[in-house]
Amino acid sequence: MELLDKLTILADAAKYDVACTSCGVNRAAVKGQLGAATSAGICHSFSADGRCITLLKILLSNVCSYDCAYCVNRRSNEVPRATFSARELAELTIGFYRRNYIEGLFLSSGVLKNPDYTTERMCEAIYLLREEYGFRGYIHAKAIPGTSPELLVRLGVLVDRVSLNIEFPSEKSLKLLAPEKAGASALKPMAFVRDGIRANYQDRRLSTVRRTRFVPAGQSTQMIIGASPESDYHILRLSASLYQRLELQRVFFSAYIPVNTNPLLPAPGAVPLLREHRLYQADWLMRFYGFDVNEIIDEEHPFLDPLIDPKCNWALNHIDQFPAEVNRVPYEMLLRIPGVGVRGAKRILCARRERSLRFEDLKRLGITLKRAKYFITCNGRFAKGVLFDPVSIYRELTAQAKRRRLKGAVDGQLSLFDAVAGEREAAFGVAVGMSGQAPRNMSPYGLQGNAVGSRQALPASGALAKVAP
Amino acid sequence: MNALMDDAQPVYLYDGTLEGMLTAVFEAFARREAPLNVAQEHCLQQSLLCSYIPILTDAEKAERVQVGVINKLGERAYDNIKQVFLSDDGEKGGVIVRYLLYTMRKGRGSCAHLANPAVNAFEEVLRQVSKEAHYMLQFVRFAQLRNGVYFSRIEPKASVVPLIMGHFAARFNVQPFMIYDARHGLSGVFDTERWWLVDARDIQVPEQTMVEDAFQSLWQTFYDTIAIEERRNPTCQRNFMPKRFWGTMCEQIPPQLRNLRPKTATPTQAAKQLAARNQTPHVLSA
Repeated sequence: MELLDKLTILADAAKYDVACTSCGVNRAAVKGQLGAATSAGICHSFSADGRCITLLKILLSNVCSYDCAYCVNRRSNEVPRATFSARELAELTIGFYRRNYIEGLFLSSGVLKNPDYTTERMCEAIYLLREEYGFRGYIHAKAIPGTSPELLVRLGVLVDRVSLNIEFPSEKSLKLLAPEKAGASALKPMAFVRDGIRANYQDRRLSTVRRTRFVPAGQSTQMIIGASPESDYHILRLSASLYQRLELQRVFFSAYIPVNTNPLLPAPGAVPLLREHRLYQADWLMRFYGFDVNEIIDEEHPFLDPLIDPKCNWALNHIDQFPAEVNRVPYEMLLRIPGVGVRGAKRILCARRERSLRFEDLKRLGITLKRAKYFITCNGRFAKGVLFDPVSIYRELTAQAKRRRLKGAVDGQLSLFDAVAGEREAAFGVAVGMSGQAPRNMSPYGLQGNAVGSRQALPASGALAKVAP
Repeated sequence: MNALMDDAQPVYLYDGTLEGMLTAVFEAFARREAPLNVAQEHCLQQSLLCSYIPILTDAEKAERVQVGVINKLGERAYDNIKQVFLSDDGEKGGVIVRYLLYTMRKGRGSCAHLANPAVNAFEEVLRQVSKEAHYMLQFVRFAQLRNGVYFSRIEPKASVVPLIMGHFAARFNVQPFMIYDARHGLSGVFDTERWWLVDARDIQVPEQTMVEDAFQSLWQTFYDTIAIEERRNPTCQRNFMPKRFWGTMCEQIPPQLRNLRPKTATPTQAAKQLAARNQTPHVLSA
């Protein structure tokens, strides 16, 4: 088989992996060796779907002995199969790297025979690249749950990042959709890698000689969103504990795209991209904005609002903490203002040492006031035309979202939005006017891909009934 | 001079060199005035409302400014000034002078007065130049020529070649390469030992190798394959990778136009060429 054909088959089979980051590790260049790594990472291209291409994301082989319901490479699918030799893979990586196409390699693989055999093949290929070709660029390798610890160690010293996929937000869904994978949970090897990273860190800290680094860029994982019935509440709680307990660097979400037909899976429909986007926003709030998962979402409202971002949502639910006076509130509170990011908060902090800031100054600092203006005062004054009232703020913010949707309208989204918005406004009305909040237990995304019994679980809500086809 | 000219805003004219710019800064401090702009002599539309003052480049004055800036504001501030100087912005001279008039008076901490118009304008140009340099780290594409050199042609909005050579010279220290900035007529050359800058306009480069053609089509294939059709999002793609860079990126050549480039070498010639070197060019030489 031609190299070009192999590349086509194995890149096509790898494209559903989400992670494509080259960050988290600095490796200085060495004379006579190709490559280096910078901790911020560099994206070298962007594919037609807008996702960044920083690594050669590829499978070693798409031959797989597993038969997972959702996966394009499952044993029972009749697709062309190919396997790279270690040499081919190394030549391809080096050739691309030398032309500044990529930062390095992201190697994954179908399960050849068993996890140990597969990991051995991957180690061989990476070893060749690192030792014979002297490659110092970034390498991210996928580890397969069920691999023996000795092989995980061997892999971990060769690469920068290891990822073990938990695939689904719950064990139950995993059992249903990927029975072979369910036997060996990903959590145990993740804990093993975490302990290895910790021990290696201590080791290197106390050592006076240069020691081999073990998974220096940390580990990550990914899960599929919208193929199983778990709520956003469940998913975010899970990722919070992955960050805290297993010390992961990243948790990736992947909107479910139907590639197989299976009665266990949702029927083909719109890809839940908006839901994925909201989950990432919540993820960012936890990682960079000092939010606790319980501030973002609670059991009573287990789905994120599709119409406004989670930070706006938090601000509206804690309107008593606003307006924030930009010239006085501490950094932590600046970060909580909707529309103000980490960079913006730092710039405000810096600039207000010199003078007290007005709205013009904020604009000059590059702060987008589209959302922020509702929640801030400058020297005690609101921006012109702002009515500080949660119902009206909610209405204005959702109007922005609706206009955006109108431009690139997705079928059925608009009526769905109207339904959710009406209900939220009513809820705010109750909350502000009297007491309590109207419970909202349904998924606003319910119709676009929450399968495995989710339809039965949904309450017969009037709002949803209206948009049901 | 008549009354009209006394009120006119001064505009300094300099020769386009960094020394010239620093001399202009020196003159502004010496004359205790804030020029409207420091412009290059030949690229300027003269206005009646301005008085034009030619600045004679003086290495000694320039050095005094350099030392003064480093002593008062630090090495970093001087590097930032050099970086802003690389911008294509016609107003950069005025921006630099006003920034220094403010910060040299206020001292080191004032570089962080982001809401001050002088500092803000400077930071803005600085950010544009850094952004352009980072775009180049992302989107530079090298092609291997028949003389073994990896060659890249770029058209950045600021003259960023000096800012990016160090990055590439470190990671690609095993291959000779050249980055040719066609817009500014400047090339960065690296010979596997050290890098330097060369003035270059309308350069002629040798053909690329057959191996290069092969790698380009491999990369194009990978690029097309990796996109997920169901997630298609051209707006997002353009936001991260503006279209002005696409002209120098081989994966952006539409499929129907690929492989149309006239090839001078036949496959047999390419094979001979490879045999002569007794190795494939993309394997590291020991």
